Amino acid sequence: MNVKEYISSGIIESYVLGLASPEERVEFERMCDSYPEIREARDAFELSFEKNALSNAIEPPAHLKNEIFAKLHSEGNNTQADNSFKKENAPATVVAMGWLRYVAAASIVLLIASTVLNYYFFSQYKEYSAKYDQLVQNQTQMASANQTLQTKLQDYESALSMMKDPAMAVVKMPSIPKGPNPNSLTTVYWDTKSKDVYLLVNNLPEPTSDKQYQLWALVDGKPVDAGVFDISKDNLSFVKMKNIPRAQAFAITLEKKGGSPTPDMTALYVLGKVS
Amino acid sequence: MAITPTYNEQELIAALKTKDEQSYSYLYDNYSGALYSIIKQIVLDGELANDVLQEVFINIWRKIESYDATKGRLFTWMLNIARNASIDTIRSKSFQNTQKNQELSNNVNISSSISNQTILPDIDNIGLRKTLGTLKEEHRILIELAYFKGYTHEEIAKIEGIPLGTVKTRIRNALLQLRQYLK
Repeated sequence: MNVKEYISSGIIESYVLGLASPEERVEFERMCDSYPEIREARDAFELSFEKNALSNAIEPPAHLKNEIFAKLHSEGNNTQADNSFKKENAPATVVAMGWLRYVAAASIVLLIASTVLNYYFFSQYKEYSAKYDQLVQNQTQMASANQTLQTKLQDYESALSMMKDPAMAVVKMPSIPKGPNPNSLTTVYWDTKSKDVYLLVNNLPEPTSDKQYQLWALVDGKPVDAGVFDISKDNLSFVKMKNIPRAQAFAITLEKKGGSPTPDMTALYVLGKVS
Repeated sequence: MAITPTYNEQELIAALKTKDEQSYSYLYDNYSGALYSIIKQIVLDGELANDVLQEVFINIWRKIESYDATKGRLFTWMLNIARNASIDTIRSKSFQNTQKNQELSNNVNISSSISNQTILPDIDNIGLRKTLGTLKEEHRILIELAYFKGYTHEEIAKIEGIPLGTVKTRIRNALLQLRQYLK
C-alpha cells in the first residue's frame, strides 16, 4: 500500500474524530505501528485539531468546576469507602468461608466414605446372595436325592416283604445249556394267591437298542406272553409282569422291541420250571 | 494561595492515573473550555451541556486507566468521550421527547431540522461548526450527521438516500477539506 496515499485518504481524520468503523480503527492502529510516518501524520492532525479546539474553547459556567469536583471527590471517597468496607468485612468473610470450607471438606470425606461403604456392602450382599442361592440349590439336590433313596428303600422293603411272603413261589431261571449267555440268571416270584408275577433280573446281558427281553409262561406246552421288560443296571428291584393264572415253567427270549406273539426259540436265554 | 503546578503531557497522564485531584484541577482549567465547546456544538443547550461536562469529567476519572497513549493524544481521547456522551444525550428518549415538545412541526426531516438548529446562534460561529460553513452543502450535511449526530455511514446512506460508497467518499473529502482549514 502506498503510505502517502493512505495518509491523504482521510483515514487519519476519520480515526481522530471517531468516525472510523471498528475495522478501519484496527487497520489504522496496525498501520501506525508499522509506519512511523503515518503516526507522525496522525500526531500532527491531532495537535492541529487540539489547537483549534482550544482556541475555540467556551468557558463553562464558573460554578460548574466546584460541582464537578465535589462529585469527583465523593467518587474518590466512595471508592475508598468501598475499599475500606471490603477490608473490614474481608476477615469475617474469610473466617466464615474457612468454617464452611471444613464443613464442605467433611461432607466430601463423608460422601466418599459412604460411597466406599456402599460399594463394600453391595459386594458383600452380592457374595452372600450367591452363597444363599448355592445353598438353596444344594438343599434341593439333597431333597431330591433323599426322595430317590426313599423310593429305593420302599422298593427294597416291598421286595423284601415279597420274598418273605410264604405264599410266594420262587422260580429260579438259569441259562439253558449252550444258551447265548451261560451266566444268565433270572428269578420269577409268583404269588400263588393273586397270581401276580414279579421278575428279578439277576444277570442278563444288555440288549441292543432295537431289542427287548420277553418273559413267557409255558402253559401246557404252549408259550403265553408275560410281558416285555428293560434292564437297567441301577434298578435291582422287581418288575411286575403280567398276571399268569397257570404255568408249568417260565422262559425269557430276546425279541424285537415291543415283543413278539410267539417266542424266537433261537434266542432263548433262561428257563425255569415251577416246582 | 495554592501553587498550581504545570505538567507536560506524560506527567499529566501519570498524575491522572494516580487519581491525584490537583492534576484533575489542572486538566479542568486547561481543557474544560475546549470540551465544553464541542459538547455545546452537539447538544445545543446550555443546561444539558453542563450535565454532559460533569459526566465527561467523571468518566475521565473512572476510565483514565484504559487510556493508551500509543493510540492518540490525551485530548483526542477526552474529546471522543465528550462527543460520545453528548451524542448519547441527544439520542436519549427524554431529550427527544423535549425536542418534540419544542418543535410542534412534526414533519420536519432530519436535514431540514439541521438547518433549523439555530437555538444557540453563537454556536455556528465556533470550532468545527464554523468550519462546516466553508464546506459545500452536500459535505456539510454529512459531517453534521456523522460527527454531530453520531449516525453511522450506513444510517446516513439510508437517511440521505445515497449509496454507502458515496457517503464514505464524501465524508473523507469533507474531512480532508476541514484539515486544510485547521492548518
